[in-house]
Amino acid sequence: MKISTPANIQTESIWSKFLQSVRHNIQSYILLVAVAVIWGIFFFLTNGRYLDPQNISNLFRQMSVTSFMSIGMVLVIVTGGIDLSVGKLAGFVSVVVAYLQFYVWFDLFPGQVVLPAILSVICGLLVGLLAGVVQGYIIAYLGLPAFIVTLGGMWLFNGLLLLVTQGKTIAANQPVFSDIGQGYVPPIWGWVIFGLIVVALIWNVFNSRRNKVKYGFTPRPLYLDLTSVGAILVLIFAYVLSVNNYKGIPVPVMLLAIVAVVIAYAANNTRFGRYAYAIGGNREAARFSGISVSSLVFRVFILMGGLCGVAGVVLASYVGYGTIAAGTGYELDAIAACILGGTSPLGGVGTIPGALIGALIIASLTTGLQMLNVQPAWQYVVKAIILVTAVYIDVYFKKHR
Amino acid sequence: MDEDIILNFQHVTKKFPGVTALNDVSFQIRRGEIHGICGENGAGKSTLVKILSGVYPHGTYEGAVIYDGEELKLAQSSIQEAVKEGIAIVYQELMLIPTRTVGENVFLGKEPVEHGAIIWNKVYAETQAILARYQLDVDPWAVVNNLGVGKMQMVEIAKALSENAKVLILDEPTSALTKAEVEKLMEILRTLKQHGITCIYISHRLEEFFQITDRVTVMRDGKIITTQPITDVTQNDLIRYMVGREMKERFPKGNRAPGDVVFEVEGLEAADPDEPNRKVLKGVSFNVRKGEILGIAGLMGSGRTELVTTLFGEYGMATKGKIRINGQEIKPRSAHDAISSGLSLVPEDRKKTGLVLILSISRNISLPNLDQFVKFFSINANAEMLASMQQAKSLTIKAPSLDVLVETLSGGNQQKVVISKWLLSKPEVLIMDDPTRGIDVGAKYEIYKLMNDLAEKGVAIIMISSELEEVIGMSDRVMVMCQGHSTTTLPVDEADKERIMALATGVAVA
Repeated sequence: MKISTPANIQTESIWSKFLQSVRHNIQSYILLVAVAVIWGIFFFLTNGRYLDPQNISNLFRQMSVTSFMSIGMVLVIVTGGIDLSVGKLAGFVSVVVAYLQFYVWFDLFPGQVVLPAILSVICGLLVGLLAGVVQGYIIAYLGLPAFIVTLGGMWLFNGLLLLVTQGKTIAANQPVFSDIGQGYVPPIWGWVIFGLIVVALIWNVFNSRRNKVKYGFTPRPLYLDLTSVGAILVLIFAYVLSVNNYKGIPVPVMLLAIVAVVIAYAANNTRFGRYAYAIGGNREAARFSGISVSSLVFRVFILMGGLCGVAGVVLASYVGYGTIAAGTGYELDAIAACILGGTSPLGGVGTIPGALIGALIIASLTTGLQMLNVQPAWQYVVKAIILVTAVYIDVYFKKHR
Repeated sequence: MDEDIILNFQHVTKKFPGVTALNDVSFQIRRGEIHGICGENGAGKSTLVKILSGVYPHGTYEGAVIYDGEELKLAQSSIQEAVKEGIAIVYQELMLIPTRTVGENVFLGKEPVEHGAIIWNKVYAETQAILARYQLDVDPWAVVNNLGVGKMQMVEIAKALSENAKVLILDEPTSALTKAEVEKLMEILRTLKQHGITCIYISHRLEEFFQITDRVTVMRDGKIITTQPITDVTQNDLIRYMVGREMKERFPKGNRAPGDVVFEVEGLEAADPDEPNRKVLKGVSFNVRKGEILGIAGLMGSGRTELVTTLFGEYGMATKGKIRINGQEIKPRSAHDAISSGLSLVPEDRKKTGLVLILSISRNISLPNLDQFVKFFSINANAEMLASMQQAKSLTIKAPSLDVLVETLSGGNQQKVVISKWLLSKPEVLIMDDPTRGIDVGAKYEIYKLMNDLAEKGVAIIMISSELEEVIGMSDRVMVMCQGHSTTTLPVDEADKERIMALATGVAVA
C-alpha cells in the first residue's frame, strides 16, 4: 500500500498534466481534427476510395502549388499586408518557363535535358524574385498600399502572361523538367528520408532539453516532448507508408516540406521572422524599437516573389504546359489557406504549419467533391459554407478558451 | 437624513473567478456634488464604473445600486440603457471617430432621422446648443482629428451629456491633458455642477480632487476605505488610505554623483518633415552628465515631444545644430540610428509606440535586443528567456509567466516591460517621456527608485514630464521649454513650481 500509493498519484498527475496540455493546445489540434473529420466523411461517401494510396498521393501533390504561396502569404499577412498578384505571378512564371523549355533551350542545347531543367528553375526563380523586388520596393519604400500595388501586379502579370503565350498552350513536358512536378521519390528512399527525420527529431528533443538545462531552466516532462514528437512521426510514417504503396513521395511534396521547414524555422528563430510579427502587432512600436520597417516589408515581398517563382516552376512541370489560364484564382486559395490556418487578417498572428493545414483542408474538399462527381457549382457552395464555418469555429474557440 | 442621495451602493460585491473585484461596497453619492474616487490600479474603480454603465448588468453582482430612488436594473449589453437612464460616462481612452466632425460624433448612434435619412441640420443645431449650454468652446463642424486633446475631451463630454443626463462619470479624464487643459476641464465641471449634474470624478492626480471635488471616496482592494469631505483630508492622508501604509516620501532620494557630460544638444532646430517651413524646434540646447537625471518641463505644444522624436530621428527634420554623444556628433535619421549610437527612449504612449500588445512579455523585452542573442542567424531562445527573466525579476514585473501577452498586464506592469526592454539594451542615455503617466502611486514609486538606481549606475537620464512635482522631485537639473525654445537649465534647488511655470508660459525670461 505504502509503495503503490505515490506511484498511483504520479500516474494520475501525469495523465492530468497531459490532458491539461491537450486542452491548452486545443487550438492547434482543432484544424487537424477538421482534416480528420473531412477525410472521414469522404472516406464513407466514396466507399473508402478517398484514402487510397493513389488519392492521398494526388491530394498532397495538388496542394503543393498553392502551398508554396501560402507559406509566403503568411508572412505578408502577418506584417499587415496582402498580395493579390501571387496567382498570376506564378502563372506568368509557369508560361515563361514553358516558353524557355519549348522554344529556347531546345535550340540552344539540342539533345540535352538536365541543363535546360536547371536553367528553367533558375530563370523561374529569378522572374519571381524580380517581381517581388519591384512590388516590394513600391510598397515598402514608396509607401503605396499593398492591396493596390499587388492588384496592379495581378493585372500586369496577366497581361505579360498573355503576351508570352500569344493565346496558345506551350508544352513543358520534357524529361527531367517534368520530374519536378510529376516525379516520385523511390519508396526505398522514402524510408531512408523517414529514418533521417526520426533521428533528427529525437536528436532535437534531447539537444534542446540539454540546452535548457544548460541555461538553468527545467525542461517540461520528457514524456510530453516524446509524445508530441511521436505523434508527428506517426503521421509522417502513415503518409510515407501510404504513398509508398503507390509510387512514393511526390517530388513537389518533398520540395514543399523542405521549403516549409526552412521558412517556418526562420519565422520563429531569426530576427527577420521576429520583426515580421512585431511589425504586424504594432508597426509604430516596432519602429521605435529600432526595426527598419521598410526594409523588412521589402524583404517579405521578395521572399513572396521567390516562392511564387517556385510555385510557377512546379506548376508548369506538374500540368506539363503553360496556358493562358495558369494560376487563375490561386491567390485567393493561398489567402484562404492562411486564414483557415489561424492567420489574423489584422496582422501579427499566424503560423506556417497552420497555413499548410489550411491548404490541406481546401485541397481535401476539392478532391473529395470531385471524386463524388459533385457539379462544380455545388462544389463552390459547399466550399464556401465550410470555409466560413471553419473560421467561425476558430473564432469561437479563441473567445471561449 | 435630509441628504438628497442620487446613487446609493448597498453591499455591492462583484466576483470574478479567483478574484473579488468589489467586496461589500456601500457608499452614497449626493445629488449635484462632484464626488472623487481614488485608489491604486486594481482597487475596483473601473468595476464600479462598469456596473453603472451596464457592462456588468444587473444580476451579475450581489447587492443593489439605488439610483434616484429606484434600484438600477440594467439588462445585458445595455450600455445604451444606462445612457437613457441619464448616466453618462467619459472614458479614459477617447472614443471618438477621428475622421468625422464634432456633430457627427456627438450624435453617433442616436442620429435624428426622417424617412431613414439623417437630418444634418438638426444634428449640428443641437450639437451647438449642447456645446453652448455647457460653455464648451468647440466648432460643431470641425473634424475631430484637427482638435487638440483638450477639445476632444470636450467633445466626449458633449457626446456623453444627452438631454436628461443626471450623472456624469469621468474616468481618469486628465491623464492626457496639459495643465491649461486641466484648468479648462475644471471650469467645465463647475458649469455642469451649476446645471445640477452630479459628477463622479476618478483620477490618479490627487491634487485635482482638492481643486474640484466636494467629497472623496478612497478604494483599496475592492473595498471602500473611507468617504470624506475633501476639506477634511490632505494629499498625504489620501495616499495613506490608498496604499494602506504610511508613504513618507513620494520621491525616493537617490545618492547620485553626476560625472562628465555624455550627451549634448546645441542650438538644435527642426522642421515638420511634411511642411519644411514650419519650425517645430527653434533652438534647443542642453547637456546631460553621466549619472544625472535632467528633467525637461514644458506645456503641451512647447516642443518637448518634438524634441524627443527629433533626437530619436523619427519625426523632426533637424535643420541646424548639433547632437553629440561622448563628444561624437551623431545625426540620427531613424530610431535605428539613435539606438545604435547609445540612445534609448521610453516613449510617451506605451500602447501606441512602446509595446507590441499581442506579443509575450519576453518577446517585447527582447525585441530591440535580439542582436545580443543571435548566432548564425538564429536566435538562442534560452539566452533570450534568461535575459528577459533577469530584467523582469529586477523590475518586479508581476505576471504568471513571461509567455503571457503584454495586453493582459496592468498599466504599471506594462510600463515596467517598456523600461525592461530598454535596460536590456544597456543605454548610455535613456530618454523617458512621461514615464509615470496613468500608473498608480505604488508603481510610480517603484519607477522612481529604478530611475535612481540607473543614474547611480552611470546612465544619463532625460525625463520629460507634465507633472511639475515629478520634475522637481526627481531631477538634478531642470530644463524648461517654451514655444520650441529651450529657456534655461536650473539646478533643482533653484527650481520651484512658480519659476518653472513662469518660464514655460513665457512670462519670465531666463
